Amino acid sequence: MDRLIEILEDIQPDADYETCTTLIDDHILGSLQIISLVAEIEDEFDISIPTVEIKPENFNSAQALWEMIQRLEDE
Amino acid sequence: MKITSYISVAYLAIFLPAALLLYTIIPKKARPFVLLIASYVFFWFISEFLIAYLIFTTLCVYLLALWLDKLKAKRKTLLEGAESKEEKKRIKTKNTRAQRWIIVFGIVINVAILAVLKYSPFFVSSLNTALRFAGVNEALAPPKFMAPIGISFYTLQAVSYIHDVYKEKIGADKNLGRVALFMSFFPIIMEGPICRYSDTAHALWSGERLHYTNACFGAQRIAFGALKKMVIADRLNVFVTTAFKDYEAFDYDGGLVLLGAILYTVELYMEFSGTIDVVIGSGEMFGVKIPENFRQPFFSKSISEFWQRWHITLGTWFRDYIFYPVTMSKGMKKLTKKCRKKLGRDYGPLPASIIAFFCVWACNGLWHGAGWQFIMFGMYHFVLISLGALILPLSNKCLAKCHIDRNKFPYKAFTILRTALLVCIGEMMFNSRGAKDSINLMRVLFTKFTFKSWFDGSVLTLGLDPHDIIILCIAIAIVLAVGIMKERGISPREWVAQRPIFVRWPIYMALVLFTVVFGAYGAGYIPIDPIYANF
Repeated sequence: MDRLIEILEDIQPDADYETCTTLIDDHILGSLQIISLVAEIEDEFDISIPTVEIKPENFNSAQALWEMIQRLEDE
Repeated sequence: MKITSYISVAYLAIFLPAALLLYTIIPKKARPFVLLIASYVFFWFISEFLIAYLIFTTLCVYLLALWLDKLKAKRKTLLEGAESKEEKKRIKTKNTRAQRWIIVFGIVINVAILAVLKYSPFFVSSLNTALRFAGVNEALAPPKFMAPIGISFYTLQAVSYIHDVYKEKIGADKNLGRVALFMSFFPIIMEGPICRYSDTAHALWSGERLHYTNACFGAQRIAFGALKKMVIADRLNVFVTTAFKDYEAFDYDGGLVLLGAILYTVELYMEFSGTIDVVIGSGEMFGVKIPENFRQPFFSKSISEFWQRWHITLGTWFRDYIFYPVTMSKGMKKLTKKCRKKLGRDYGPLPASIIAFFCVWACNGLWHGAGWQFIMFGMYHFVLISLGALILPLSNKCLAKCHIDRNKFPYKAFTILRTALLVCIGEMMFNSRGAKDSINLMRVLFTKFTFKSWFDGSVLTLGLDPHDIIILCIAIAIVLAVGIMKERGISPREWVAQRPIFVRWPIYMALVLFTVVFGAYGAGYIPIDPIYANF
């Protein structure tokens, strides 16, 4: 989780990833940041994120992202 | 009965009430069939024998989705029985390949129907022009096809359904009636919004009984849509048509062309969003929540934000089925990773995004129509959005250096006005008769610009008298007030509903009377075809 927060802070520094649950809804992460984020997460956690997983529910908070990563690691 | 628009007596006073009445009096189990039959009858009224195309597309995606589901189930069974890793890999590869063939076939066949019916005359005439330039005197005769109204909308719904089944976002529906109703529901078939199966299909088939609150809210939404279309859009149409038709013959200055562009943009918004209000209101009456297509677009602070607020369902369709699949393809992911290392955080994702933006905007332009002016319209937005993404890091630094706060009113007002102006110029291209006309309009706008015509009475010679201008100002102020309330998170309908009865009813009555008295209709009124139904 700490590594994920580091990646998020590198991509978009202006957010509190511990508490924010509206990263997509409040346009904190735009499509360009999502592209970078997917590339970084795939590299770091050795997973593949299919396009169907790119939905607000999975990207609105660091926690939701972490749960998606764990789920994809298990598959 | 011929229905040409949702805002017509035929639809609002005959078709919709008849469908609602039938829906109410029959048992719950039969209600979805009433909606399905009503939808097919409606489609017959607007497209007659061309209904065959809708039936073909529906059957095509229904069967292909079932086939995909069958293959997925077979894959699961085979994988459970496989003993070695190699065997599992072989099963996966073979099964994935078969699924890919099905999805490619499903998309290609439906897009090909759309392309042949809608674009083949444009492609042939463009080919003839190219041949002429190459010195070849032979010319091909442009084919003539009749395309059913709404084909651009239902084709995108069909593609999204089969794609979502392929990606296992949804399961294939075994109920042909439910798929057919999702594809053809009469309020959305002509002008959208472009719905997803997961948004509407089950609500449509549930046969919920009518509720008083839904009926009231639905009727209010329809009345508001009628005001936008009949009082504003239809009144502006006379001015806009004359301004765009006669600008060369009467030597208009750039100011008048700009006014034409602004008023056309207002007309388009009122016409399209007004129709969508009627569509959403109709759905609401049946208890079906149809996705919103507009979210106060003229409060946008950038072109990119504008397209997240204008024709939302088209934008999200392109985002989900073109932008992300392109940027998330293996090659593009590699490119992003490489570029992030070389260009850094801000510019790293840009090359892949710009390639995807190009694909999205080429398709967006073409989706709106078969003509070079539509391709120019798409490319105009591609350039603006790409430039916006390119200069954003730089502009952020400049604003910080100059101590300008993005969230303060003056800067916000500047960005809102700048965006609105850029949108109007784009819509001016959109409403031109072709690429040459589009370039001509630009030339007049930028080389002959003066505000003289705004004040010397020229404006009043284009079909709007002072009386019309006052009515337009009042109606636009009402729409603006509703927009401001929504921007502030207040639901205007709920706000009115909470007022005492002696305030509430005069508001309802005043809005209805205003539309009835000042709406453009009756003897001598030539109905104006809905602009988006032609796309």
